[in-house]
Amino acid sequence: MAYGNVVALRNVDFAVGRNEIVGLVGDNGAGKSTLIKIITGVQRPTSGRLYIRDKLIPWSEYSVRRAHELRIETVYQEKSLGEKQPLWRNFFAGRQITDRLGFIKVKQQKEIADRILLDTIGFRGVGIDADSTVSKLSGGERQGVAIGRAMHFDADLIVLDEPTVALALKEVRKVLAFIEKIKARGRACIYIEHNLAHVHELADRLVVVDRGEVVSVIAKGEMTLHDLTDHLLALQAAKEAQA
Amino acid sequence: MRTTLRTTVRTLGVAAMATSMIVLAGVAKAAMLGDGVTVYMQMGGQPGEPPVLPRTNGAKAAAAALGVKLIEQYSSWQAETMLAQFREAMAAKPSCIVIMGHPGNDAFADLVADAVAQGIVVTSGNAPLKELQVKYADKGFGYAGVDLYEGGAITARAMLGAGLKSGDKALVFGNFSRGDRGLSDKGMADTLEKAGVKVDRVEMSEEVNGSPPLAIPQLVAYLQQHPDTKAIGTQHGGITPLLPDVMQQAGKKPGELILGGIDTDPKTVAAVKAGTMTATLDQQLYLQGFLPVLQCVLSVKYKMGGFATNTAAGTLSPKNVDALVPLIDAGIR
Amino acid sequence: MTAVADPSPRQRRPRQRASLGARLIGTEGVPILLVLVVVLAVLMVLAPNAFLGWRTYISVMINYQPQLICALGLTLVIAAAEIDLSFPSVITLCSLIFAAFYRFDNVWWLSWVGAGLSPEAIKLLQAQLCWLGVFAALGVGALVGFINGLLVARVGIPSIIATLATAFVWRGLAVFLASGRQFSLRDFNQTDLWHVTTGRLLTPLFSGDVVLRKPDGIPIQALVVIALAVLLWFILNRHRFGEALLFIGDNANVARVVGIDVKATRVKLFTLMGTLAGLAGMFLTMETENFTTTQGQASLLVVIAAVFIGGTSIFGGSGTIVGSYIGLLIVVMLQIGMVALGLGGDVADMVIGVVFILAVTLHMLVERPERLKGLGFGNR
Repeated sequence: MAYGNVVALRNVDFAVGRNEIVGLVGDNGAGKSTLIKIITGVQRPTSGRLYIRDKLIPWSEYSVRRAHELRIETVYQEKSLGEKQPLWRNFFAGRQITDRLGFIKVKQQKEIADRILLDTIGFRGVGIDADSTVSKLSGGERQGVAIGRAMHFDADLIVLDEPTVALALKEVRKVLAFIEKIKARGRACIYIEHNLAHVHELADRLVVVDRGEVVSVIAKGEMTLHDLTDHLLALQAAKEAQA
Repeated sequence: MRTTLRTTVRTLGVAAMATSMIVLAGVAKAAMLGDGVTVYMQMGGQPGEPPVLPRTNGAKAAAAALGVKLIEQYSSWQAETMLAQFREAMAAKPSCIVIMGHPGNDAFADLVADAVAQGIVVTSGNAPLKELQVKYADKGFGYAGVDLYEGGAITARAMLGAGLKSGDKALVFGNFSRGDRGLSDKGMADTLEKAGVKVDRVEMSEEVNGSPPLAIPQLVAYLQQHPDTKAIGTQHGGITPLLPDVMQQAGKKPGELILGGIDTDPKTVAAVKAGTMTATLDQQLYLQGFLPVLQCVLSVKYKMGGFATNTAAGTLSPKNVDALVPLIDAGIR
Repeated sequence: MTAVADPSPRQRRPRQRASLGARLIGTEGVPILLVLVVVLAVLMVLAPNAFLGWRTYISVMINYQPQLICALGLTLVIAAAEIDLSFPSVITLCSLIFAAFYRFDNVWWLSWVGAGLSPEAIKLLQAQLCWLGVFAALGVGALVGFINGLLVARVGIPSIIATLATAFVWRGLAVFLASGRQFSLRDFNQTDLWHVTTGRLLTPLFSGDVVLRKPDGIPIQALVVIALAVLLWFILNRHRFGEALLFIGDNANVARVVGIDVKATRVKLFTLMGTLAGLAGMFLTMETENFTTTQGQASLLVVIAAVFIGGTSIFGGSGTIVGSYIGLLIVVMLQIGMVALGLGGDVADMVIGVVFILAVTLHMLVERPERLKGLGFGNR
């Protein structure tokens, strides 16, 4: 993937199995977010091929909307919710339930939103309902909403981009529990994380990305957390030596 | 052979005609009085506006007739812009610059001095600059326009002549606090007051100045609030045509109010014809464009001194309107 | 995130209903409506003859529809965190287009239409051609709006700059096409088109025994604009397109990420605004039966102020149609009130400025009542 003269990703062969958690690690600017944007339809690469469920998907037909249709959902760090918008809009943004003229069936959306809040996410008695705006929610609650949205649309592949950033400890636990549940329900997950302890614990496979390339793939149990940390630090040192 | 001869003769004939035309044109051109004269002229508002169009037409007609190169400047009636445009004109070193008096004598004093020192003829139109006129008269500084104050007074006199009496109440809607722009309004208000009329001077907003229809509800509300108003006067060329609408929306019958205005907007003329509009000042704007260009040529070529002409003959009223309608339509009156 | 934390049987805590007062204040438009009521009440006390009768209000309804249309359209634009500074020029241009189809003899590019026809034939043709003028004016409005949209969405010029630039272009074009002239639409109010779009309703209630050129009554234009306001409200608040605008205004990156086609939506937005400005220009010409080259130019600041007074946020992400409508009425009533009292436009400007600040502060407080504590009020 090239942005003008800058090549953000090169020679990336990336695959996710049907029921596995793939951890994606690497330093800032390594290209993790770019890769995710390509996989989820936000951006189109300058070259490369995409296979979903063993079928080649032409780039011209791929978009966020198409990704949703193919049951790929994303939970971004921070920027996947409209702050000033109420929750009933945020749940369905981009795929509203509408009538033939395009007018939104608000009552229906609100009912479903309330259900998601109660059952799927588990907001109880905290004064949050479908009409609340996102700006009134804490960081953890927002992540809950984003994750709840992904779960409601029953994705086969959920991509989480740094989901625990700026969360309190209790909320981090909730996110990790959620990721475990994804595997337990037979789905797949791509999990980008800076905190090696979290991803080391959960991932079936760890893909390390550095300066736009995949440098290593580590299976669960192959390395201890300590070794993993060393490995990444070595990569960092190599980069600095080169600079 | 014959065809070739015919063709050759034809070609020669055409060539001869073309050559003689060019020679004649050259000869004709050489004879124009304003050859080599460049004039920068301040038009005041925006191109095509009613107070601007006849002046532009007059200036262009004079320029065409005399062979002058005319460059028009439009300033949306902003004094600051007029001054800036004068500087631009000076930088281009033309033969002559025509200005309007809105910025005032003081603002222009230094600029005009510089221009004259550089040998540029400066003259004026539409709004006067009495001091500069006197100072540079021998250098060709003239004036072709209405004395603003006098113009308002003329209109007021027409209103009084139509039946406005001492003790009556009148509204004058104008730009009283905007310096020279308000002179005509003051002239009107003063003249009415001298005749014993009780005048309410109301200032119009800049917004209304630019977009007159917005004034209609404002004036309607005023008339409602002051039902004993007998007359409305204005010297704004955009508001004048709307006065009949104001009357109607305020529930007044045609002729119930005495209306005095300025310029010859088609709607105004129609209202004068119908008798709804009492009087509108005819500035004969065409002359305000034509005469300064003529002044430029005469001063540049023959070092003639400035001549001052009052272009306002009087007002358009139901009595004299019919003859003038076709000329108004053509943008000449 | 399932029910892990709470082991007790599932309880459904009833959604807390806010007090009636709080809900009322939270309803769209109520706070600003109160401001309008207060303003009118004050004006009625100070200038009873002007504000207790119906003439002033009818006069406003007659003359301010173009500004209302633009304020409504601009609400959508600002909600999407954009701005359109070119709408006054679009008004001028589309005014001309419409006027030209009626007075085709007056414009160089249409004068061939009436060549060689008798005056009666011309009159007949005028009455029919102006219907075409309606489509032409709206079409041109849509086209220039489309161009604005392309500049913003495809070329990437910030809308404030793009529309400022095109404002010059459209204005210049209008003057060019009009040959710098201005002209009147004589007898337009005899045509069917006038009666359909600009006529008056319920005239028997209003007219006395006076024979007027244009009868008194409720202007049809006012009703059309109210219908337009209702439509735009539904589009902004209940339609997919409106929601896209809200998300784009909130955060364009978020909008992209949830699958909204930001570029296409922006183009549509400006096209819509252009069409509305075209409608405004057309209505203006129909009502004044005149075209001047400065038509509509001065409305820029008042319309923008109306939108903010009404409560739409400059930051985008939300917009209130009701607020903008009422906001414009507030500004207009204040202006009229000052003149009715014999005070000048300068006093009106000061009063409007103060009311503007108060209105915006009111909106901030309604949104975040805790701000009151910052001012020193609030319970201990």
